[in-house]
Amino acid sequence: MFRFLCLGIVALAQPMVPPAGPGVFTAKKIAATSYKLVVMGHKFTARADVEKYLAYRAAEHTLEQNADWFTLTEDRAKGETAVPVPKRDPNGPRYSFRMKNFRPVWRYKAGGATEWKRWSPFSGEPFPSAIGDFEVSVDILLRKAPMDDADPLGFEARALSDLLINQVSPPK
Amino acid sequence: MKTCALMICFAAAASAAGPWVKGFVVSWYEPAFRFGGRSDYSRGTEIEPGVDCPHGSTTHFANPAQTFKAISLVPWRTSKEIEAISNPPTNTLNRDGEGVYYPVWRAASAYRGYNRDIETYINPFAAEDPGQPQVVSRIGEGFNLDGKIKEIDFVSPDGEKGIDNALYRAWGCDAPWRGNGNGTLVLRSNDKMLEGLYTIVIRLTGNKDPMNDDDVTLEIGYSPDKVMKDASGRVGADYSYRILKSEQYSKLKAKIKDGVVESEQAAEIHMPQIAWFYNQTRDAFFRNGKIRLIIESEDKGTGLVGGYRDWRDLYSQNVFAQDGGQQGVREHEDHIANYYALRRHADGIYNPKTKRYDGVSTAYRMQLVSAFVVDPDKPMEMPVLSAEMRRRKAYDDTAAAMIKATSTLIPQDVPPGSGEEAVGRGGVPIPRRRVR
Repeated sequence: MFRFLCLGIVALAQPMVPPAGPGVFTAKKIAATSYKLVVMGHKFTARADVEKYLAYRAAEHTLEQNADWFTLTEDRAKGETAVPVPKRDPNGPRYSFRMKNFRPVWRYKAGGATEWKRWSPFSGEPFPSAIGDFEVSVDILLRKAPMDDADPLGFEARALSDLLINQVSPPK
Repeated sequence: MKTCALMICFAAAASAAGPWVKGFVVSWYEPAFRFGGRSDYSRGTEIEPGVDCPHGSTTHFANPAQTFKAISLVPWRTSKEIEAISNPPTNTLNRDGEGVYYPVWRAASAYRGYNRDIETYINPFAAEDPGQPQVVSRIGEGFNLDGKIKEIDFVSPDGEKGIDNALYRAWGCDAPWRGNGNGTLVLRSNDKMLEGLYTIVIRLTGNKDPMNDDDVTLEIGYSPDKVMKDASGRVGADYSYRILKSEQYSKLKAKIKDGVVESEQAAEIHMPQIAWFYNQTRDAFFRNGKIRLIIESEDKGTGLVGGYRDWRDLYSQNVFAQDGGQQGVREHEDHIANYYALRRHADGIYNPKTKRYDGVSTAYRMQLVSAFVVDPDKPMEMPVLSAEMRRRKAYDDTAAAMIKATSTLIPQDVPPGSGEEAVGRGGVPIPRRRVR
């Protein structure tokens, strides 16, 4: 009986998202309220798994910094215009977040290679098929409530975290 | 002639000083949304565009294209499935129970989570935000509940700044509640109230001039007596109603100036909430609320009640009377979008544990007809409709599951016997049995 009780307490105390290993997630301050967030790993599973984990960490980082929402600064290199910049529509629907607009940039080493390559979701190039080591990054700007829910790159941290908390785990 | 005589009588009564009592029965009750469209105007597929909602009322699940948008966000659906759900094999938009669109869309809309087993009207946080048009105009009715004037606040039609009515901002474009008193659920809920589902009465007592008195007692609450109508079908004046000192009753201090009654700001106001089924009939429970009544003549008036309401009460009230899919498809509303809008605009009842607001500022309009409001001969409880208790339990169980889900973020199962259970599992409708 005591054993079951202890097991129950341990189960309750466990975080819903397993802790990440060292270096898997980093948040580097680049301005007063801006951060570059990076998730890195060595065993690629699926693009969605990694990007969702990064989105979850972005939401949690926002809350840890006592902010309420963040805007994503798209990392578009010169010529990466195949995907249009999302437009603001103040008279259109409003959102707590739009997952389709959470588009981080990838750096990766193709299986066995030693040099890093870049893949941008804005380039129009297909997502690489062979990935070994990887680094996925976004720049975010932290904001306080009320949220500008007409901003197509705005993400409400609590809503985003609630959606993703049961779906993510850190990459290896 | 009649009006003139009434005005003279009213003026005579108004000038008298001494103990007085005045009663009203509520003859119309709706969210204080301010319509900006024209009921005879539409533009393309937009219904009654206006200054409140530039693209008109919501059109969620109104047609295959809108359904496609909502179902496209479901990560486990293949494009083939999304196409098939959005365009069931029929030529008509048949929304009858026996039709094709209705059961298919109703069931599919209820399962939009990150995996196939999650019912997302009970677990709305597990679905992506489909987006909700929101009110963009600056004019809105209600009260300045927090005593502040903020950028996001509305300005009242008579120029008062700082109006807090986040429910209007969030849900003011929602099709069944938007309109010039003709929103489908506005009509339905008022029809049910006037047919006897519930009755709200108000009693004012004072000791000075009934039009100018700085020490008034305002009582509002549930009456067990059905609203009485006259021969023309309108709510009749000067009928008698009992007021119960029940869980749906409040007594407030108020003042009257030139026939305008302003209550104190009360920590709690209890009175019936809007309902169109018995299982929804319950306490509206406003926090930091206020009531304003305008006595227009001897036999009628208007009213506004506002305060912060718990978002979980608002969400349950709008979703669980039947089931979310049924109401969403029928009324062109998306409860997942409404969930996100409600939480995004929550502005009161701060919860230090979660660091989130649990309350949404609201305001509701009332029309009043004079009545004699009396205490029952003996103390009495609110009557219970035993035949409806099964559905009431289903509502309570479903609301409890949603509250548990959204507070623990652990998806909850569909309670047995609930409306959500009747929809089907995993987005697949349960075939209806045909009665021959």
